[in-house]
Amino acid sequence: MAKIIVVTSGKGGVGKTTTSASIAMGLANRGFKTAVIDFDIGLRNLDLIMGCERRVVYDFVNVIRGEANLNQALIKDKHNKELFILPASQTRDKDALTLEGVGKVLEEFSKTFDYVVCDSPAGIERGAQLAMYYADHAVVVTNPEVSSVRDSDRMLGLLSSKTKRAEENREPITEHLLLTRYSPKRVARGDMLSLSDVNEILAIPLLGVIPESPAVLRASNAGEPVILDVESDAGQAYADAVARFLGEKLSHRFIEEKAPWFKRLFGSKERETV
Amino acid sequence: MSTSSSIKDNQACFQFRASFSPCTILQMTRYDLEALEQQLAEAIRRAPNFFLGSPVIIDLEKIQTVHDIHFNDVKKVLIACGMVPMGVRGGNPEQMIAAVTAGLPMVTIGKSSTEIGKKVEVETDSKKSDVPVAPTTKLVTNPIRSGMQVYAKDADLIIVAQVSPGAELLADGHIHVYGALRGRALAGVQGNTNARIFCRTLEAELVSIAGYYLTKEDIQTLPTHDGMIQIYLENEQVKIEVV
Repeated sequence: MAKIIVVTSGKGGVGKTTTSASIAMGLANRGFKTAVIDFDIGLRNLDLIMGCERRVVYDFVNVIRGEANLNQALIKDKHNKELFILPASQTRDKDALTLEGVGKVLEEFSKTFDYVVCDSPAGIERGAQLAMYYADHAVVVTNPEVSSVRDSDRMLGLLSSKTKRAEENREPITEHLLLTRYSPKRVARGDMLSLSDVNEILAIPLLGVIPESPAVLRASNAGEPVILDVESDAGQAYADAVARFLGEKLSHRFIEEKAPWFKRLFGSKERETV
Repeated sequence: MSTSSSIKDNQACFQFRASFSPCTILQMTRYDLEALEQQLAEAIRRAPNFFLGSPVIIDLEKIQTVHDIHFNDVKKVLIACGMVPMGVRGGNPEQMIAAVTAGLPMVTIGKSSTEIGKKVEVETDSKKSDVPVAPTTKLVTNPIRSGMQVYAKDADLIIVAQVSPGAELLADGHIHVYGALRGRALAGVQGNTNARIFCRTLEAELVSIAGYYLTKEDIQTLPTHDGMIQIYLENEQVKIEVV
């Protein structure tokens, strides 16, 4: 039985697709057979971030409509043979998705895959609702910024009410907070919400903090998930996040300003463990 | 339409629609047909089209002691002014019978004026008796997220978790919030002016009791305190105090 992870946020542009790509790659790197699906019909970009935009023949909507089978539509990732991508349609819109159709596709994945990562579109309309409906886990991507926090809060409300698990009164979806584009410098200056501010409002377990990083843009342009950039702070932060998802206990890096060299030499700053 | 309805959508003969257009209540304070006609004409003169075609309910609460009201004549006066008398409320049994005979049915709509701002009195006339149902309590322990709405019908509401901005709490009775209240809290939504709101901090976006409300902007900060804050209604004003 595959575990279904939805990467959602409510707010647009916070890093859902970047996160979906890196988490899926991270899981595949650990040996799990993983699929990542783009639910943003009409505005697809997962294929760009994954670097497979030149190999798209069939897409999600084709599979739902029976115009192609799943094997024909799935694209094998060039870095990791355990990772597969199901791109979205670019020519249709979200009305082409149906609840039953999505359910059937996910069921088919379940037969052979370990994890299915659903990259949700922004908003709370049909695409986002379908992406989260069958989820077992939810990674709520949030920027440390007031509108993003409020939208994520709304999303948490929807996750606990408008999903299959909620409707069937089963165990609720496991929620994880992923704080992205975090800048400890700006937090220290008081320009940005801090980790504890966000935690106070959202109050769900923290999966990871991804720092604001130029590596993310480089990765998108190269068509490689940023987790593969092992030298970068963002790449390492995503690797930590995947490790935590799989149950490892790691302290959070990248949440504090790098102290100037003399402080590091003479004093030991206690690392905040959340 | 809920999926549990047994009527298929395309076979339904009717549907209820909420209408938020106000219905004017004409509360009679003195029974004097001539004066009524004159004063109404004056009111119409000042606002000619305001009452034209307006459905009007005649409220008899203030003249319950008057005998022998000629409802046919009252009707004529109102119609002559362009109003549409729809029914009566708040009269004593004798008056209600006379009204019905004149073609003005008994109507229960909204609240009569004695309930606003004063203690609720048990009504002795033939209106539906407002014997208050002993409120039970609705207890919620999950955080109330933005966009969620919780309504405790005929009950008090207790929330033992945080209430996010953009969330709404409604109760016919009192509301107690033991977590942080950052959303809206509306107590006594059916008109119970004795309802109160209890919370620990004043971060709510809006608080309301029986329709009287204060937004976050209007709420003055309290000095630092330990313990609960209570919000209640006094003389149609929302008061906030430390318990």
